[in-house]
Amino acid sequence: MERAELALFFREGLFLPDMKARTKEEALEELVDLFVREHLVRNRGIVLEMLHKREALGSTGIGKGVAIPHGRTLAAPDIVIAFGRSRQGIEYDAMDGKPVHLFFLVLAPPQDQSNKYLPVLGKLVEMLSEDENCQKLMQVESFQEFIDVVVGEK
Amino acid sequence: MLRNQLEMLVALQDLDCMLREVEDVKALGFEVPGKVDLEKAREELARQISPPLLSTYERLRARYKRAIVPVKDNKCLGCFMRLPTSLGARGRKDEEVITCEGCGRILYWLD
Repeated sequence: MERAELALFFREGLFLPDMKARTKEEALEELVDLFVREHLVRNRGIVLEMLHKREALGSTGIGKGVAIPHGRTLAAPDIVIAFGRSRQGIEYDAMDGKPVHLFFLVLAPPQDQSNKYLPVLGKLVEMLSEDENCQKLMQVESFQEFIDVVVGEK
Repeated sequence: MLRNQLEMLVALQDLDCMLREVEDVKALGFEVPGKVDLEKAREELARQISPPLLSTYERLRARYKRAIVPVKDNKCLGCFMRLPTSLGARGRKDEEVITCEGCGRILYWLD
């Protein structure tokens, strides 16, 4: 998967550059609420429960200030990704114990026909493993600037 | 009794799907220490399922992502083949394990 293709899974309505959440729980809720507001998720409770179960298996805070909560749910009709940024950082029980600033919440239906779920997660991990990309994402001011970073044009 | 066994098999299948996905995301770099608990839960559940049924399930699982599937409107939701109505009557009695004549998956009726 190319990064240009990855960009197709983001939407402006799922772009939150200034999260208000102070805790892990609030962060997940704030991000899931974006999906609800965009009518992409039918049942908020089911999605949150799924995300909590996933976090119970192991934190999706992969370190370096990044978390990629993810999971499959019947409540999501397609693969979609929300981006959230917390400037102050949120304690997330991350692998390196550091607060998380960049959140990518990936939701997918139980069986996505295109089989893109794992490639999408893989591409995100790859992109975010580069410190330079994370630094750029901390600076973006608009959705377009965000997409430019995702695509690799900025 | 059989109904209960099939319900446990569906739960086992859910756990197997979770474990498969956990393995996939581990390969991407996520740490999933809770996998051990999932595996323990699977072992405990598997012990409660009759050996012949479990063995059929394991054999089918090697072939299909989902080895036990529901029937809806007389169709196997694994291969979508239409099933004889008589099969539904037998299946709802919960006296024998019914497999799809088309794909061999274990069937269960929701209604």
